[in-house]
Amino acid sequence: MVSSMANALGVIFANTYDNLVPDLVTERSMASIPFGGRYRLIDFVLSSMANSGIDNVSIIVRRNYHSLMDHIGAGREWDLTRKHGGLNIVPPFAERTVKMYSGRVDALDSILNFLRDQKEKYVILSDSCNAFNFDFNKLIEAHVASGADVTMVYNHAVIPEGARSDNYTIKVKDGRVTQLLSNDYRPGEQDLSLNIYIIDRENLIELVRDAAARGLIYFERDILARNLELLNVQAYRYDGYVARIADMKSYFDENMRLLDPAAMAQLFDADNPIYTKIRDDNPTRYLAGSHVKHSVVADGCVLEGTVENCVLFRGCQVRKGAVVKNSVIMQDSVIEDGAEVEYVVADKNVHITAGKKLSGADSFPVFVAKGHTV
Amino acid sequence: MAKEMIAMILAGGQGSRLYALTQKLAKPAVPFGGKYRIIDFPLSNCVNSDIDTVGILTQYQPLVLNEYIGNGQPWDLDRLHGGVHVLPPYQQASGSDWYKGTANAIYQNISFIDRYDPQYVIILSGDQICKQDYSDFLRFHKEKNAEFSVAVMEVPWSEASRFGLMVTDDNDKISEFQEKPKNPKSNLASMGIYIFNWDILKSYLIADEADPNSQNDFGNNIIPNLLKDGRRMYAYRFSGYWKDVGTISSLWQANMEVLDPSHSGIDLFDENWKIYSRNSGQPCQSIGTYAEVSNSMITEGCRVDGDVKDSILFPGVVVEHGATVEGAVVMGGTVIKAGAQVAHCIVAENVLIKEGARVGAMPEGGLNIAEPGDVATVGSGVVIGAGAVVGPKAMVANDVKDGAEQW
Repeated sequence: MVSSMANALGVIFANTYDNLVPDLVTERSMASIPFGGRYRLIDFVLSSMANSGIDNVSIIVRRNYHSLMDHIGAGREWDLTRKHGGLNIVPPFAERTVKMYSGRVDALDSILNFLRDQKEKYVILSDSCNAFNFDFNKLIEAHVASGADVTMVYNHAVIPEGARSDNYTIKVKDGRVTQLLSNDYRPGEQDLSLNIYIIDRENLIELVRDAAARGLIYFERDILARNLELLNVQAYRYDGYVARIADMKSYFDENMRLLDPAAMAQLFDADNPIYTKIRDDNPTRYLAGSHVKHSVVADGCVLEGTVENCVLFRGCQVRKGAVVKNSVIMQDSVIEDGAEVEYVVADKNVHITAGKKLSGADSFPVFVAKGHTV
Repeated sequence: MAKEMIAMILAGGQGSRLYALTQKLAKPAVPFGGKYRIIDFPLSNCVNSDIDTVGILTQYQPLVLNEYIGNGQPWDLDRLHGGVHVLPPYQQASGSDWYKGTANAIYQNISFIDRYDPQYVIILSGDQICKQDYSDFLRFHKEKNAEFSVAVMEVPWSEASRFGLMVTDDNDKISEFQEKPKNPKSNLASMGIYIFNWDILKSYLIADEADPNSQNDFGNNIIPNLLKDGRRMYAYRFSGYWKDVGTISSLWQANMEVLDPSHSGIDLFDENWKIYSRNSGQPCQSIGTYAEVSNSMITEGCRVDGDVKDSILFPGVVVEHGATVEGAVVMGGTVIKAGAQVAHCIVAENVLIKEGARVGAMPEGGLNIAEPGDVATVGSGVVIGAGAVVGPKAMVANDVKDGAEQW
């Protein structure tokens, strides 16, 4: 294998933590939540894998995956349209009744035959609720160097409010994970799992086969946590930029964090671009009389009003006299003449009609569902 | 599998009148309108007109263009049968030749065209900004039972003598062709866009190649020969937006017209006639706390914290706090540092304009798109030093030192 190709395949879970952001996933999965003006959350892990030379990626989807399939297509934008490997979307397998995956073990069990047939030595498992620009090669190197059975990625972060009852924290001694705790609720910064794991493919197959046979569901709780003495689970600390989406508040805050150019520069690195589906929008037009400040704006917008502290997705329109502040406005939404919008998260194709006032608070942004007219 | 019509785009033009902008790339690869290159227009027109087989004839500085076109995927021209092909001159058993003229470029690719066995071939120019539905043009060609059709624009009689003119009868049949005549008999100017019946074109190309005195040019040789033989030739009147952006001022003008789609006639925002381009893959534009942006177009990867007025910024342009940009076309990756003033100019890709430098100047009386006057130009990769001055007429192809002046 030429050294530019990683000896690992990727498995991405598209629906984990859907339950934390119910408003945003009524018609989509966590993986396809719009983020950062022109991206979907999955773009970050997928681009990171592609940029690390991982060209065999399976995305395991459980429900509401139409928008994700539309977004990913054949994987061309990530250069994952390959004869060998490439992109592989794995929906639930239809047996007599369609069986929903309830945990990672279930889901992995359904692709065991696929995993057996692959050639890569390692498997990298990841969720899709984090936006980052991650170098998987460094993770692979660390995993190989330590000789671990499993290496898991964590960062030092405050547990988001929404994830208090749905997270894993770890205790690390000399690089080895000695405790893996579920649903930690301690305040302050903790060693919080990013739910990225690398494991030898053959070992994964054995562990999953065994766990599935015994009716176990969760990879972390049922496989790792129980076997920390038996398995050498190493911890890999990541100190790079992470936007962790765990509830509506963190979704809003993490979009807003990108208004800081330093944050943009950390997440978007010219040498490791984040790829996304191309829409062929024209550049954004700032008409005479527009006032746009401290905002992140995608292409295809037409701006005639006032925009401050906002993230505007592709194809948004802010008409004359409209004022939009401290808001996240998803693609193709229209703020009509004289409307005033503050602390709002507007999903796709929202219409705020002329003269309407809509205002939330910093701690509680108002959410307007996809396609709604206010 | 035969195709009804395939397109051949003449993209060999050096664009020497664009000076500093075409030192390293062919004219069709010159950036335009914020995120496009000139070649995007004929290519997108082809796709929007359901033409799925396109040959691009290149020979001058083809590197950028080749890389840009790639497999044609951004234009949906990555096809199993057909698609887009870049066709440079190549060596044949009988020897090799540069393309001697527009007709010779097609002549050298007869075998390419024959592979698709088309009934019609449309010849396009790779250096014009034009939105045109070629399927309308083909319908006209078929209705007239023509052997050759040329797209023409009505131009003011006072300017007619600058163009190649088609003299026609009431039925649009061409009776005479006048190349830049002193006394024009017509005001129908050729746009350099032709539809031929392939069998006719092929036989004339072969005959033209055999003529040692020919310049192997469509306008000078092929069209006069067709006329001489009394072929069925028709002029198709086109009234949409069309601009040959062959000079700095016309390129600047066409860019400015994009900012005013309701008056200028060029609308890049038409959902039914999208112009496709290869995406830069950069993140969203960041507009800073100190930015003032008015009547401008800004695209992906830009970071703006200064004043931008009546301007077009291409992907990844940086305008720092305290810098001003007015009436300017600023191409991808250019950085304008704090306190620099950039006005009424075209700045090519990856230029660095350092602190306090001045490039170009607004004319007295302000912006006048119809009569632009002087437009300063800075070539790609140039560094304009801190406090340096680039005059309103200057064409800068080399670095300008700190504090130096170039007029």
